[in-house]
Amino acid sequence: MVRRMNELNTFLFNILLFSLFFNVGISLYGIFARPSLIKKIIALTIFSDTANVLAIIVGYRGWPSPEQPPIPPVITSTEPTSEDLIRFINRAVDPLPQALVLTAIVIGLAVTLFLIFLTLQVYRLYGTTDVRRVARLRG
Amino acid sequence: MRIKKLLVLGSLILLVLTFSLAFARGALGYYPLPLPRVRMLASWYLYTTLNPQYTNFTAMSPVAVAAIVWDYRGLDTLFETAVFFLAVVGALTLMRGVTLKSVLNNANNKDNNYGLSLISKTAARLLTPLIIAVSASIALHGHLTHGGGFQGGSAAAVAPLLVLVIFSVYFLLSRGISEKPMFMLWTAGLLGIYLTTLAAVFIGLLTGLNAYVFQNQPKFDAPVGLPAQISGTLISGSLFFLNIFEYLAVAGEFTLVFILLSMPEEVVKSFISGETYE
Amino acid sequence: MIELSTLTYLFMAMTGVVSLVATYLAILESNLIKAVVLSAIQSTTYVILFYLLMAPDIALVYIPVSVGLYPAAVLFLIKKTERTENDSNEVVASED
Repeated sequence: MVRRMNELNTFLFNILLFSLFFNVGISLYGIFARPSLIKKIIALTIFSDTANVLAIIVGYRGWPSPEQPPIPPVITSTEPTSEDLIRFINRAVDPLPQALVLTAIVIGLAVTLFLIFLTLQVYRLYGTTDVRRVARLRG
Repeated sequence: MRIKKLLVLGSLILLVLTFSLAFARGALGYYPLPLPRVRMLASWYLYTTLNPQYTNFTAMSPVAVAAIVWDYRGLDTLFETAVFFLAVVGALTLMRGVTLKSVLNNANNKDNNYGLSLISKTAARLLTPLIIAVSASIALHGHLTHGGGFQGGSAAAVAPLLVLVIFSVYFLLSRGISEKPMFMLWTAGLLGIYLTTLAAVFIGLLTGLNAYVFQNQPKFDAPVGLPAQISGTLISGSLFFLNIFEYLAVAGEFTLVFILLSMPEEVVKSFISGETYE
Repeated sequence: MIELSTLTYLFMAMTGVVSLVATYLAILESNLIKAVVLSAIQSTTYVILFYLLMAPDIALVYIPVSVGLYPAAVLFLIKKTERTENDSNEVVASED
């Protein structure tokens, strides 16, 4: 019974993992093969967001016991005792990937805004956002 | 065309389910669920994030994420802020020479001529102060619960965006939220981050003790540090100030970029082609 | 009786599949405004995922960035440039 439950959980978790891997593949297709620069920006954000979710999954931990879910890495009291801390360590998820992803999302938005301004400038100069037409025009 | 799209989508989902089933049954090696324990490094971070017994190692903040962002890996975040700065400066360089004051003078400045209907304007009037208040609370409680400078700053940037879409860029400019104040807010935030990272060094210079850049709590060979509590209230040393200044920097930068992005294209073109000079 | 952990993993699997559908439709959509809306839907599923993966900090920063600021920026860009993505090769080739 426990083994079957474990297998079911693994199946469901693998669905999540493979959906994210396929998201990476589809968004890479969007970056390389779609002609519009705006579509490329949309695909790039989907790609970076999927990478962020995968990083968070690295920091996730399985359920310590069937009744106890893992908890976010926040201590709920301001003066914890040693027992509180031991209980906290036994249940909290890994905070390091979360801290790295936190800054990566905001930096990603800033870089996307830079790309948006670049695309706007391309449109002002060439009159199109289609990369095939931009490649044909000179100057 | 539509049927072909649906067929491809269905086969993609089927492929995902098949792969997951194969991996769950152990067809391609055994890949278990995430383990019910964390790595050694993570348990060290979790153990010392708020630990009054280990005064030489703790960051004195109940939030492990905020402690890692601004204390354990503070230099990382500092250089991420530098990347952020450069990306936004790159975006602003493409809009160089466009000054907003002349835009305001050129436009026949009637607020009611622009924007969406009265209903959305009233809703925006009610919502905008609420968004600012919530974002400030997210940023100010960043060292005690979930939240912090990055979260609060990006939430605060939604408020001017709402005004930009529902009213107009002219409304925002006539209320004094133009590029100069936002630039000053941004610079004040960066300057504050810079001074907070050097605060422990200044204290060390005055007291003649050893101190490090980006130091938060007292360390073994550097007994100076920022206070963890002010009259019984936990402020977690430098974390509180860094969160506030990062909040100002992020909110200012995003507001500045969105004001420039929402400028009417004819105005920008007249600047670029050299018809208008300031 | 279904266990709580299985229920959590079931929600994760469902949001994963929904995000796959939204990504696929967003990449293949030729109307760019619809593509942005679909990508915002995909971001919403990622917010639910961040919540289920015990990362509320990331969910807090991800909601304003990815559902608010980023679609707005791309919509400003679309308003100033082109609305549709030209998919076929013939139209571009015939301009020579």
